[in-house]
Amino acid sequence: MRYWPIPLLLVALFSAQGANAEPIGFVKTLQGGNAVIRALDDSERPAAIGGELNVGDTIRTDRRASLGLTLKDDTIMSVGPDTELTLEEYLFEPARGDLKLGSRLGRGTLQYVSGSIARLQPDAVSVKTPTGTIGVRGTQFVVRVGR
Amino acid sequence: MNPLHPGRPGFLLGLVALVISLAACAPSSYIVLLDDPDGRPSQVVVTTEAGETTLSEAGGALALRSSGARPTNISAEQITRDFGDTMAAQPPPPRTFILYFETGGARLTPESEAQLPQILATVSAYPAPDISVTGHTDTVGSPTENERLSLRRANFVADWLEDARVEAIDLTVTSHGQRNLLIPTADGVDEPRNRRVEVTVR
Repeated sequence: MRYWPIPLLLVALFSAQGANAEPIGFVKTLQGGNAVIRALDDSERPAAIGGELNVGDTIRTDRRASLGLTLKDDTIMSVGPDTELTLEEYLFEPARGDLKLGSRLGRGTLQYVSGSIARLQPDAVSVKTPTGTIGVRGTQFVVRVGR
Repeated sequence: MNPLHPGRPGFLLGLVALVISLAACAPSSYIVLLDDPDGRPSQVVVTTEAGETTLSEAGGALALRSSGARPTNISAEQITRDFGDTMAAQPPPPRTFILYFETGGARLTPESEAQLPQILATVSAYPAPDISVTGHTDTVGSPTENERLSLRRANFVADWLEDARVEAIDLTVTSHGQRNLLIPTADGVDEPRNRRVEVTVR
């Protein structure tokens, strides 16, 4: 018998059912100011270091904040001030071949370091911007969307 | 008269105006491909209404305009100016430790057991660390037995880390049985490098 903390037990139960309820990543750094995260259901919460990230979340930094995150496929993203980044699609089931990672940079700055999804399936990773879509074959780039 | 013709009084003025107008044209939206520190190949393909443009050289940049993506020059100073804060917020790269097992069971090799301090040091050095523990087997035994064995190995490592009081915000255990071989082999091959648990610290 394993005595797991309840959140871990829930994660284990959901993943056993194949549901997509596990977080896809976590906020790792937040400096200089504040950021909010809007979920798919339009609820908003303040971003915090260690906070969970889910599919559909939109991260918005204020004009002083920058924020870094990692996803479970080892993708690393960081955003600068006055930025809006949405994590639109995420599928990471290598054993089943289900791989997808789609983000959208509405405005601001993003540094991107690709992870396992881009390595396993290079055409499955994209970042949309208002003027074009970046297909991420690998591995590191910066992109800015001006006003 | 041509103001750009050298020797004419308007030449210098025209040149200044040209430089100013070029500077004003510096794109407000752009992408720059960066060097990969591990030397992996880098490439992005930008698709706009005007078509596809590929960027495959580190330092190469494209201006992103509604009329299409065009090659441009972005200086190192401009990257620092526009992305200094963004780059300073970048989390450390995830690190994976591979632990090996004695054949058939959930007992770590002595060399793998000796990696514990390094794993714990990495976890405590990372901001808000989360950990994935993924179990694998070689191809000895049936796939069903190996699913069970790889989960047993992953749980063993998770317990081992928890006994060592690892402090992480999340610890996820998964198992791949013999479906994800590090060294591809035929069925029934005793391959020590496939009997492993991967611990990724992010």
